[in-house]
Amino acid sequence: MLQVENTLFTIVMIIYFVSMILYFIFIAAKKETFSKIAVYLHLGALVLHTAALVCRGIGAGRLPLTNQYEFATSFAWGLSLVSLIFIWKFKFPVLGAFAAPVIFLIIGYAAMQSKEVKELMPALRSNWLGFHVSTAIISYGAFGVSFVLGIIFLLRDRMKEESFWGQHTPAKEKLDMISYRAVALGLLFLTFTIITGAIWAERAWGSYWSWDPKETWSLVTWIIYAIYLHLRIRRGWEGKAAATFAVIGFVCVIFTYIGVNTFLPGLHSYK
Amino acid sequence: MKKVWKFLTSMKLAIALLIILAAACAGASFINQGQSYDFYAQMYSERAAALILALSLDDAFHSWWFIAINAFLCLNLLGCNLIRLPQLIRRTKAEKTPDPKTLISAGTREEGISDPKKVFESLHFTSPAEGSFEGKKTLSASKNRIGYWGAWVTHLGILLLIIGFSLGQMTHQEYTVYGVPGQTKMIEGTDLAVTIDDFRIGLREDDTVEQYTADITVQDLSVPDGARESTEISVNHPGKLFGMSFYQNSTGWAAKVGIKKSGNDLQNDVICAGEYVPVRDLPELVVFFNAFYPDYVLVPGVGPQTQSGQLNNPAYLYSLYYQGEILGMNVLMPDEKITVSDYEITFSEPQPYTLIQVKKDSFQSLAFLGGILTMIGLILSFYLLPEKILAVEEEDGTFTVYGHSPKGGALFKERLKKAVLAGKDGSQQ
Repeated sequence: MLQVENTLFTIVMIIYFVSMILYFIFIAAKKETFSKIAVYLHLGALVLHTAALVCRGIGAGRLPLTNQYEFATSFAWGLSLVSLIFIWKFKFPVLGAFAAPVIFLIIGYAAMQSKEVKELMPALRSNWLGFHVSTAIISYGAFGVSFVLGIIFLLRDRMKEESFWGQHTPAKEKLDMISYRAVALGLLFLTFTIITGAIWAERAWGSYWSWDPKETWSLVTWIIYAIYLHLRIRRGWEGKAAATFAVIGFVCVIFTYIGVNTFLPGLHSYK
Repeated sequence: MKKVWKFLTSMKLAIALLIILAAACAGASFINQGQSYDFYAQMYSERAAALILALSLDDAFHSWWFIAINAFLCLNLLGCNLIRLPQLIRRTKAEKTPDPKTLISAGTREEGISDPKKVFESLHFTSPAEGSFEGKKTLSASKNRIGYWGAWVTHLGILLLIIGFSLGQMTHQEYTVYGVPGQTKMIEGTDLAVTIDDFRIGLREDDTVEQYTADITVQDLSVPDGARESTEISVNHPGKLFGMSFYQNSTGWAAKVGIKKSGNDLQNDVICAGEYVPVRDLPELVVFFNAFYPDYVLVPGVGPQTQSGQLNNPAYLYSLYYQGEILGMNVLMPDEKITVSDYEITFSEPQPYTLIQVKKDSFQSLAFLGGILTMIGLILSFYLLPEKILAVEEEDGTFTVYGHSPKGGALFKERLKKAVLAGKDGSQQ
C-alpha cells in the first residue's frame, strides 16, 4: 500500500506541476481554455492526492498526520482543497495560478522529507491527533489562500481595470472580502487547532499549555490575524493594507510550521 | 477618570496590547527559558545574561511585565464587553424589524423589482414583515442577528481563558511520585499515599514502546482506615482519584542496591536511577545510582551507551561519596561488587519504574469553557453575518430593495444583485 502511495505521490506532483504550467500559460496567453484544463487537472491532482493520503493511512495503520513528510503533504492537500473551493465558489481561476506554485513548493518540501513509516510514540497515540492536525491543515490552507489573494490584490492594484487582470480577477472590493473570508476560515480553524491541541496536551503531558515553541508560535500567528481583524474595523484597513498584512501573516504561518521545528525544537519536534 | 476608562477600553489599546503580546511571545521563544546566568553568559555574553535576568526574560511567560500585559488585555476585554452589552441588546431587539430610515441611507439600493418576495426567498429570508414607510407599502426582514454577538462572545471566551489559565497557574498543585510495583509513596504536602500496584511497558515486535501503563491505588491517610481508590493510567489516559488527576508521565530504571558488612547482609534498597542511598551504619558513605544501561556497550569517545531497551547486557553506572567527597565512579556489571573497607556493594534486579504526575487545577474547566466560547464566538462572527433587507413599493408598482450587511461587504452586495435578478426574472415568467 505504501508503494502505491509512493507512486501516487509522484503522479500527483507531476499533475500539480502540469496544472501550474497551464495556469501560467492561461495568464501569459490570456486564453481561458488553458484555465479550464488547469482547473480540471488541479481537481484530478486533488483526487489522487486524497487517494495517496488514504493509501498512506492504510499502509501505516493510522492517520497520516504525524511527521514532517505527512504534515507537509497534508498541508499541500489542504491548500489545494481550499484554493479549489475558492476558485469554484468565486469563479476565479487566476487564484489557481498563484496557489499552484505554493502547493508545488510545499509538496516539493514534502518530497525532501523522509517517507519512512515509524511507529508512534505513546503520546501520539490519541484520537485528538486527528482533530488537532486536520484542523491545522485546513487553517494553514486557508491562510495560504489569503496569502495568494493578498498577492493578487497587490498586483491587481497596479493594473488597469480594462487589462487582463481587471477582466479575470474580481473587483478589488470583492477580492478584499474573499481574502477576509479566507483569513476568517483560517483563524477559526487555527482556534480549533489550538484548543484541540490543548485538550490533547492535558491528557498526554498533564499540562494543557506549557509555552512549547510550537504552541507559542501558534498563539503568535493567532494574535497576528486577530490584529488584522481589529485593524480592519478600527482603521478601515481594507484593500492594500489588508492584503499586505495577509502576506506577512502567512510568513508567520510558515515559520510556525517549518521554522519552529528547525530552529526551536520542543515537544512538537518528534525527532 | 472617564478618559482613563475610555483609553483602557479602547480598541486602540487592544491592538497595541496584541502587538506587544505577539512580540513578547515571539521574542521569548528564542531565549531558552529557565536557565542560569552562566548558561546565558556562555550562550550570548555576560552583558546579555545580566540583561536577560534583569528583565526576567529567563522566565518571560511568568514575568511581571508579561502578567501586566495580560492584565491590561483582560481589563480591555472586560471594559469593551461591558460597554457593548447594552448596545448589543438594544441592537438585537431593534433590528428584528429593520429601521427603513437607516437601511435607506446605508443600504445597497436596487430598483425596479416586480416580485420582491423572490428576492427575500433567494436570500433565505423567511416571512418578511409587511409595514409602511412614508405612506408606502414595505416588506422587511432581518436574519442572523445573533451574529452581532460574535465578537462579544469571542472576547468573553478569551477573557475566561486568560483568567482560567492565570488562576490555574497561581493555584494549581502539582507533584510527582515515582517508584516500582509494590512501593507506596506519599504525595508530598498531602495525606494521600500512592501505591504502585503494577507497571507495564507494552512493546511492539520491533522493540518500540506502544504504551506505558500503571495500576495505582491511592489511600487517604488523614482518616483512620482511609478510603482507597484504584485506577489504571496510561499515556493519554489519565485517572482521577480524590479530586486529583494522575498522569503516566515517564519511566526510567530502578535497581536493588545490596550492602553487606563483613559478609553479612546490612541493607537492601530499591532505588531509581538518579537517587542515592546512604550506608545505614556509616551515613557518610553514600552510593549514588547514576544511570542504567540495559544493553550496555562502551562506545569509544562517547562513553557508556545502550544498544536497545532489552536486558541483554545490563550495567550500572554508580558513584561513591564519603563525607561529600567523591571516592569513585564506574560501571558495574551484575556479577561484580564494589568493596570499600568492610562493605560490599552490589546492584541487581533491574526493573523499570514509573513516574506519575499528580495535578489539581481547579480552574482548568474555566479555561476550557473560555476556549469553547471563543470558538462559538468566532463561528457567530464569521458565519452568521447579520443581514437585513427592505422592499419599498414605488408609485409605479415596482419595488426598490435596500439591503445591508455590516460584515458582508461586496459579497453580500453581489448576492443581493443576483437575488434581485431572480426577482426580476421571476416577474417575467
